[in-house]
Amino acid sequence: MSVFIDRDTTVEVQGATGREGSYWLKHMKEMGTNVVFGVTPGKEGQDVEGVPLFHSVRRGMREHPAELAMLFVPPRFTKDAVFETLDAGIKKIVTIAEGIPLHELIQIRKAALSSGAMVIGGNTSGIISPGKGMAGCIPYWIERVYKKGNIGIMTRSGSLTNEVTAEVVKGGFGISTLIGVGGDSIPGTRFAELLPQYEQDPETKALVIIGELGGSMEEEVAEAMEAKIFTKPLVAFIGGRTAPEGKRMGHAGAIVSGGKGSVQGKVAALEKAGGLTAAKPSQVGGLLKTALA
Amino acid sequence: MKLFEYQAKEAFSEAGVPVPEGRLVQNADEARAVADSLGCPCVLKSQVLRGGRGKAGLIQFAENAAEAGRKAAALFASPHGVRKILVERAVAVERELYLSLTLDPVQAVALFIACAEGGVEIEQLAAEQPEKIVTVPVDLDWGLMPHHVRELTFGLQLSGDTAKAVGDIAGKLYRVFRANGAELAEINPLFITKDGGAVAGDGKLVIDDNMDGVRGKYPLAPEYFATQTEYEAALEGIPYLQFDGDIALMCAGAGLTTTVFDLIHYAGGTVANYLEFGGPNYTKAVEAMRLCLKNPCKVLLVVTFGTIARADVMANGLVEAIRVLRPSAPIVTCIRGTNEEEAFATLRAAGLDPLYETEDAVRRAVDIAAGRIA
Repeated sequence: MSVFIDRDTTVEVQGATGREGSYWLKHMKEMGTNVVFGVTPGKEGQDVEGVPLFHSVRRGMREHPAELAMLFVPPRFTKDAVFETLDAGIKKIVTIAEGIPLHELIQIRKAALSSGAMVIGGNTSGIISPGKGMAGCIPYWIERVYKKGNIGIMTRSGSLTNEVTAEVVKGGFGISTLIGVGGDSIPGTRFAELLPQYEQDPETKALVIIGELGGSMEEEVAEAMEAKIFTKPLVAFIGGRTAPEGKRMGHAGAIVSGGKGSVQGKVAALEKAGGLTAAKPSQVGGLLKTALA
Repeated sequence: MKLFEYQAKEAFSEAGVPVPEGRLVQNADEARAVADSLGCPCVLKSQVLRGGRGKAGLIQFAENAAEAGRKAAALFASPHGVRKILVERAVAVERELYLSLTLDPVQAVALFIACAEGGVEIEQLAAEQPEKIVTVPVDLDWGLMPHHVRELTFGLQLSGDTAKAVGDIAGKLYRVFRANGAELAEINPLFITKDGGAVAGDGKLVIDDNMDGVRGKYPLAPEYFATQTEYEAALEGIPYLQFDGDIALMCAGAGLTTTVFDLIHYAGGTVANYLEFGGPNYTKAVEAMRLCLKNPCKVLLVVTFGTIARADVMANGLVEAIRVLRPSAPIVTCIRGTNEEEAFATLRAAGLDPLYETEDAVRRAVDIAAGRIA
């Protein structure tokens, strides 16, 4: 049993016939993801990559109940798509869209919190439990990155995740479940909210967090560790230690303002809570060995 | 995108928030004439996007029109890049408050933040005297309701006409905040006048470029950017920050580029510019390199580890950019990810020596910049 997505998790895909959607739907299936239907309004009765299509999520759910929704929907249509999915009763949603308006991100997160659902993203490449299931656009075939193993990974980034995860694999480890919460300043689900699942997951022996400057998600992880909500070994790499204050560097969420959100503050909080932190990605593998020794 | 004070005040004023009587000027003669027609004393407020304008001397008082002209001339001649000054008639102030609306990413609500002491740095006050700060969460789907406003005005210990005036402004500020999909709408200070009314002494509005209809109201212009190159990059939609060091970064992925920025500093190097051409920009290698070459950089460093932003496509783009732009600075590459074998073959065929590890690439770039290797 892995975190968020497993071999048996039933998945529906919205935006299934778009260029990105159909390309990644094919790869999700090839990796073994249990995709049960796709949604493209106007294309019900057709199929894509052997997956039946429906006009709406509710129409698909009547014939093929799904537990997880994967949204390949452009940013301006994402709020509607998320609300449609919640209306249909699905509790796990992954949305990759980059550029969702901020007020809509707030409404999306609020709706998810109110209905006991989890929305992962936007601005993420998704979720993968290697060898079991994938929701998103993750190149699982790059073996030096997406190798199966016992290290959970949570990240705010895409390319940096490849960089750091390659170091995890180089250290002799592999991934249990990797979750990209996304690089926006208002992610649908925050790091700390996923910790209970990693804590319970027997396949996760340790957790790597790939964070960056800005926001308070890393500090919230430290609080959860202090409160013993998460007790497994944790290694963090946090980018942006030398970034100048007040400049938005990289992701929308990556800004230090009023002295808050600095990498130094995040590192201090995590170390105080018993985590190990890497100054460079290349130290992550070694720190994992130390943490698991 | 952060707007200038005069733009924020225009938006506030259109919504009905009282603002001081004033006009925007672009030279000292205009400043003198406006001061004369408004009546003095008046305030000269330099329209620059940096914070701490008061401390930097960018806000000046004038007792008469001649003084307004002289002080405006000095502000326009200052090294702060002042192109516009907002000349406002001085307000008879009884006291100052702080009022803002922002988004709380944890609770997923809009959040009023207010304080009975205005004009100060709210972050500093929050750290030192948190008990003085009043916060009122507002669910965006409910909208602003009368009880939110009561919570705010009673929290500030206001009564009578002042409570009514501040409550009214809170409602109007909320409308501006929603209409612009704003990250922040702030009035600091909010003047309470001697007759019990309230007037926005300053205005800050950070709008959301991703929201329909907002970007069109405030088109990109050079005045929002510290340098011309930052403006040109914004027109291309390429994230770019100007620095004054040796190594031009042409990387992909926000987190990875930020990490390379750190690694260069750890290795003793300096950065000429931060540029990220990942995501939707991964086919824009030529435009990206053109921006980098506007700097007198000693070396170009290309680091990517892309998924959708395929390595082979980025390598082809880089080779094309070299062919078109013929950069004289050496190029260090570390392009990995989807189809990286093809990428390596392409780069080798173009005479480059592609590296596989980010830290090796950073070390080589720093060594080249320092003149240790060619």
